[in-house]
Amino acid sequence: MIDNFTEIIDNSRHNLMSRHVCPVGNITRLETLTPHGWAQLIALERRGLSVWNEETVDALYRCADCGSCRAHSVYDVALPEAISAARADIVKQNAAPPSVYEMERILGMWENPYEQRRPEPADGTGDTALFVGDDTYFLKPSVLEAALELLRSVGIDPVLIGKGRNTGYLASSLGLPGVAWDLAQANLEELKATGAQRLFVLSPGAFFAFNQMYGERLGLALPAGVELLEVIPFLADQLKTGKLRLKQTSDPTVYAYVDPTHAVRVKARAEAPRALLAAVLPEPVRELFWRDGRAYPCGDLALEFTQPDIADALTRERLADAARTGAEGVITEGPGSLAHLERHAPAYDLRVRGLYELLAEQLAP
Amino acid sequence: MQIPSDGFSETTAPLAEPSVVAVAPDVVRYAPGKFHFEMIRSELEEVVGPEHISTAGPDRLIYSCDWFWPPQMWLDRGQPLPMPDYILHPGSPEEISAIMEIANKYRIPVIPWGGGSGTQGGALSLYGGIIMDLKRLDRIIEINEQAMTVTAQAGINGTQLEWALNERGFTLPHYPASANCATLGGYLAPRGSGTISTKYGKAEDLVMSMQVVLPDGRIMRTPQVPNHASGPDFMRLFLGAEGTLGIITEATMQIDYLPEARLLRAMLFDDMMKAIEAGRRMMVHRLNPMVIRLYDPHSTASLVKETLGLDLAGGYMVIGFDGDPDIAALQEEKAIRICSELGARDLGREPGERWWNHRYDFYYPPKTLKFPWMYGTTETVSTFDKIEGLWLAQKQAVEEGYRDWGVRYIAHFSHWWHWGAAMYSRFIIEAPPDDPEEALRLHNRIWNAAVTASLENGGMINEHHGVGLKLARFMRRQYGDAWPFLQMLKRAIDPNGIMNPGKVGFGR
Repeated sequence: MIDNFTEIIDNSRHNLMSRHVCPVGNITRLETLTPHGWAQLIALERRGLSVWNEETVDALYRCADCGSCRAHSVYDVALPEAISAARADIVKQNAAPPSVYEMERILGMWENPYEQRRPEPADGTGDTALFVGDDTYFLKPSVLEAALELLRSVGIDPVLIGKGRNTGYLASSLGLPGVAWDLAQANLEELKATGAQRLFVLSPGAFFAFNQMYGERLGLALPAGVELLEVIPFLADQLKTGKLRLKQTSDPTVYAYVDPTHAVRVKARAEAPRALLAAVLPEPVRELFWRDGRAYPCGDLALEFTQPDIADALTRERLADAARTGAEGVITEGPGSLAHLERHAPAYDLRVRGLYELLAEQLAP
Repeated sequence: MQIPSDGFSETTAPLAEPSVVAVAPDVVRYAPGKFHFEMIRSELEEVVGPEHISTAGPDRLIYSCDWFWPPQMWLDRGQPLPMPDYILHPGSPEEISAIMEIANKYRIPVIPWGGGSGTQGGALSLYGGIIMDLKRLDRIIEINEQAMTVTAQAGINGTQLEWALNERGFTLPHYPASANCATLGGYLAPRGSGTISTKYGKAEDLVMSMQVVLPDGRIMRTPQVPNHASGPDFMRLFLGAEGTLGIITEATMQIDYLPEARLLRAMLFDDMMKAIEAGRRMMVHRLNPMVIRLYDPHSTASLVKETLGLDLAGGYMVIGFDGDPDIAALQEEKAIRICSELGARDLGREPGERWWNHRYDFYYPPKTLKFPWMYGTTETVSTFDKIEGLWLAQKQAVEEGYRDWGVRYIAHFSHWWHWGAAMYSRFIIEAPPDDPEEALRLHNRIWNAAVTASLENGGMINEHHGVGLKLARFMRRQYGDAWPFLQMLKRAIDPNGIMNPGKVGFGR
């Protein structure tokens, strides 16, 4: 578990080397809203030159916790984790935005931020499980249907866990480590109860949560011997070996691919969706400027609930980036990213397609 | 002048009371009270829109510091810095022009801000005023493949500009360590250098033309080409002026194709004088290296070892050649022969490539220099006949003068010309005084010693970081009889003294 937060903050407050990839810094152009700006705010509060008031707290909660700064840190400095810890201190001081305390109540009661419904219990056992999550369950159930169809086509029929439950990332990002721990523990216990030795997740955000966030921020680990896999890279491997067979679509739309939120946190996964798209699209997919290792997030982040203006601006920037390529539509696989893109796409005259749904449609007989 | 301590921890309101000022003979100082402050704010809002002006406490705090060690140290020790009053994000040269009109009317200092990565205190708001953050001016206007130029607005981020060019097969061959945070305007204003400046020139050599907003608000373009015989080259007035004579809003820069080949190699010298001579011969025989990077033995034993994992003793030299593969290979071959004749051991390609691939790693935490250490980059530049003596004199001045503080002095020779070389020297003190005032005084005394050694041994006060606040006090000594001429220019161009006051030696 990471706990050298003071060292991380002090090392980061004058570090400008990840400045170029900070999406909030780039969109707002405000020095305060950059990795070094946030670290400096935290460092100066500790030195008595600042206090946590409405303005400073608002600034700190404008960090997207997207992982870009860390992904571009040569020595893997865990600044997002340190900011999350600083927010936890602010929450304890009763100085966080009201929406954070409201989310604490909501997540405590419903384990998701979307509907007043508790997660559906997991049932069954098997050697493979699939974490559904809250964004898939409530916002994009079509993602799950399509993913299951694709997995079954290669002989995998997973037990579903986390049906309507958040990974815990949302709570952790907001500075609610206790709530995050409860959610993570609930997910891990469901996993353990299935007896699965392999856990699939549907997005890089969920992969990040199980693979890294649980350990670094919460001190939790996957049950021993469990292999964690993201479905899209797995399917790309299946395509390579010939087990997954896809046919080309006749859809003439020119698409741009949008790396989903948190993609930058997962090393070496960028090729997989692109390889799958190359197998089904007649035209090569257009690439955004902010792609791959420098991909911006969409608005499916914790700040969707605290600073929705920034969340919306991030999503709009993805769509504007896609529009600049001349694309007529965008494709992504993250359920949360999909939902956000769909909300704003009409303003850019762009069609939105889910990658899972497209692939499932193009399964070869 | 009493620096207003507006009790940031007490209130997020703007200045609570007027600054007490010492009035210069013919300049009325900006001294707002709350009422005046708000009236001016309304006027500025009219120009940029309410969403592009900030007087918020956090913003004023973050914009109060750049990459200069003393203000960073000041904050680190819990001491408040002078803060700007307004942070503006203008969206066009016309908006900047309108802001200048207001600034002149009320005598408000204006400090241009690019990436805030300057190490010389050039972006500090010593007297409050307006921080003009130029990052909304971030468009690429044209990539001209025939003329091999890119025209871009000055607020564009350096690395983002490079990525955009790379996608078309081009590069702006200016690779400073600060590219991830610096802007195009920030490249030009202090006359910056980059890793491959030895071959491609400094930023000032790559600029074709610029658009500048003058202190009185006039928007001016310099001629479309830099080399001509059509009168004085006034474009160069703004290169190195660091915002004291006007604001660069757009620049047309020369670009190159991404090279077909880049050949890197490392050599090791027992004798630094011979190593410097090897570099000189490569330059005077026009072998056209893209980089010669020569580390002194102290740097080899510390920096090179820590960052590259190479355990070597002596002068570590990286040489690099790029472009056509056959030409680069031939140039490299001749360079290797020169080095061998001067006693170098050829370490081969891998250490050189490792240096190239990790050359900026040193700037990332936790490897970067950090508090509580005191450090400064005392770089200078001189001709080949003087550079060795300059290095030894500065080394002696720092090491002997501050031995009691356990000072370390390291140097590498970073940029080379047909006539000389730049020496990128640094001092480091791992246990400076805890008291911030004492630390600041010690810091400045070491700088006095290092710069005096430079000036007395044929060097300039700086090669590529600029003057800012840090070196402002040395400008008169540097320029001697020419200094009144520069002051005359400043007074003529900026009669109200609003442009980045206190910097580049122009005072207030």
